Amino acid sequence: MTPDASDPAGDAATDVAERIRYLDEVMAEIDAEVRRRRASGDLPAGLEAELDELFLEFSPVGLHGRARLRETLALVDGSAYVDIAVPTASNKAVGAYVKRVIRKGLGWYMNFVVAQIVKFAWSVSRMFHVVVDHLEDLEAAVELTASPDLPVDVAPAADPGSSWWTPAAVDALAGVADRVLVADCGDGGLLDLLDAAGVDAYGVDPSDLVLEPALARGLDVRSEGLLDHLGVVATEALGGMVLTGSVQWLRPNERERLVDLVATRLAVGGTLVLQSGTPEGWAATVTPVVRDLAPGRPLHAQTWAHLLSARGFAVGEPLTGGRDERIARVGEGSSDADSVNAAIDVINHLLLGPTEYLVVATRER
Amino acid sequence: MTAVHQFVPALLPRDATGDHTLALRDAFRSAGWESDVYVEAAHAELQHEASYFEEYPGRARPGDVLLYQLGTSSPVAEFLLGRPEPLVLDYHNVTPESFYEGWEEHTAAKVALARRQVASLAPRAVLGIADSAFNARELASLGCPATEVVPILVDLDTEDAAVDARERDRLAVRHGDATVLLFVGRISPNKCHEHLVAALWVYRHLYDPDARLHLVGPAVTPDYAAAVFAFAAELGLAGAVDHAEGLTTAELSAWYGDADVFVCLSRHEGFCIPLLEAMRVGTPIVALDAGAVGETLADAGILLPTARPGTVAAAVDRIRRDRALADRLVASGHRRLGDFAAATTRRRFVEVLGAVAGGERVVA
Repeated sequence: MTPDASDPAGDAATDVAERIRYLDEVMAEIDAEVRRRRASGDLPAGLEAELDELFLEFSPVGLHGRARLRETLALVDGSAYVDIAVPTASNKAVGAYVKRVIRKGLGWYMNFVVAQIVKFAWSVSRMFHVVVDHLEDLEAAVELTASPDLPVDVAPAADPGSSWWTPAAVDALAGVADRVLVADCGDGGLLDLLDAAGVDAYGVDPSDLVLEPALARGLDVRSEGLLDHLGVVATEALGGMVLTGSVQWLRPNERERLVDLVATRLAVGGTLVLQSGTPEGWAATVTPVVRDLAPGRPLHAQTWAHLLSARGFAVGEPLTGGRDERIARVGEGSSDADSVNAAIDVINHLLLGPTEYLVVATRER
Repeated sequence: MTAVHQFVPALLPRDATGDHTLALRDAFRSAGWESDVYVEAAHAELQHEASYFEEYPGRARPGDVLLYQLGTSSPVAEFLLGRPEPLVLDYHNVTPESFYEGWEEHTAAKVALARRQVASLAPRAVLGIADSAFNARELASLGCPATEVVPILVDLDTEDAAVDARERDRLAVRHGDATVLLFVGRISPNKCHEHLVAALWVYRHLYDPDARLHLVGPAVTPDYAAAVFAFAAELGLAGAVDHAEGLTTAELSAWYGDADVFVCLSRHEGFCIPLLEAMRVGTPIVALDAGAVGETLADAGILLPTARPGTVAAAVDRIRRDRALADRLVASGHRRLGDFAAATTRRRFVEVLGAVAGGERVVA
């Protein structure tokens, strides 16, 4: 309804709408300025990543696993010593003298008490050292038993060049205002598509080598594992996330951690896009050795839906794609058609159906 | 006689919750109601204004309504869970513990306890009053049967006090014509001061090599504050970042008035009073759209979808270059302040609590 010009409430609404439109225009101009600065090289693609990493050097949050444990232990050690030499500096000449007298007078008393406190603190610190040593031994043992070496030329993954799903991923993320993370971004092909759609996307990939083409094109990509990266992203800092690649072969504990991180790093209302091979497609393409020994394997789309729903996501119907070698059903004319078609359905379902899927979910709470 | 008694963990002078609590008590008394304040602890300056919460059972009367100022963990929460009187929560939000993990584990544990207490109290309350729709949604999601959004009672009219001229002149001499970015708030991980430092670095690199960042607020998370200042030093900004705390109202007004742009890149805010203070003094605002910031700011500033330093720097530059934009933002800020007028807020509190005391709101 168009506000009536003689209606004060209508005038106010018009004013508000005009002010919002004006601010939208200003914001669009600010975005254009940022794009211009990036294109000119004033804002290099890797600058923000460098600034983030630099701050993390001063942050205990930036440390992980053993480094974080040892760093914290060093803080305990540093705090375990209590200094009884109280500073005696003073703005007034007599003040420093009085403080020195008090320090000297109380020294015998403080020494006795502090010696016992320090002894207790060092005992506690020593205990933590023993616990951490023991913990590290246990972690090493668990790692040894949990992941047998696999032949190096195989990986339990969907076809890395598969791109049937990228238009749907871009559609799902178009309009997301805040930053979008693309995991295992590889050469940055999806980042290009998202950028063209006006999405503020950046990527991570654990391999320096595969990132080189993306870096050469000036894309904002970081050489980092997905879990390591999400561990230092601020709560609810991301508007969207694309999970692909390594999400298919995470170990169970890594998968749990990933889902927890996704559910906290993605803002409420944020969009998650997850692309994976199907377990059936994976089983049909890898060797028996990999099938038996792989520490992790792709999940069904329904399983991801279950895991994500439990963390407050609304999950849409999965899209399927990839290779599809289903056998056509036989015509109805044959007397054995029904039994043959039933067998074909079973074979199609178990072995020959679409080998990949795409899940789109929205964080609701 | 209607009686609405308030409970607050700590009653502190020059503290938003403390000021809010005492102002509400005065408003309730002006309405002819009985109203006292019960605390877990009170600062020496304010001990005469409050009683300890353990004293309440001996003074309880039929028909009392209890209003809990909820913003941190406290034994007061457990006490109120065991009381039979109708309970109303005045929720100021609790920062999620994830912001403190790795920085200050004991604070993470404390806020986690506070959030558990919110979850216990919300279904028990007859009503949740929230500073913002953001806070109200949180209360509702925890099972609070009804919520009302009423802003925190900040008497910005009376705070329109004198600006400390000496402080203003000192600041002006110190930075000359350089652009000054200001943020006011405690130095705590959810406020993301590192993004302000990164934005300053980019701004100096692209627009004004002499620009400065002024940070006002206590360093309540010392390791985080040390990391922020070490980060600034590593970027060569040690001399370009000033920090102050414990300012008087007049000194704080001088810092606001001295700044060219108030920049807030906080990731979690339940309301954000400094936005109102910046509006009052007429400092243009650039803020990240996070938590309740968007709804508090409305159209009175540039609301950013991202805290990326290039975008923040470009927004600050835009305000610096465009006088008409700065003037429009200041005018919008003054208009927006009208929505938080103390008289209106006082009236809303009396209406809402009066409905509970008068039985118009069904007591669970």
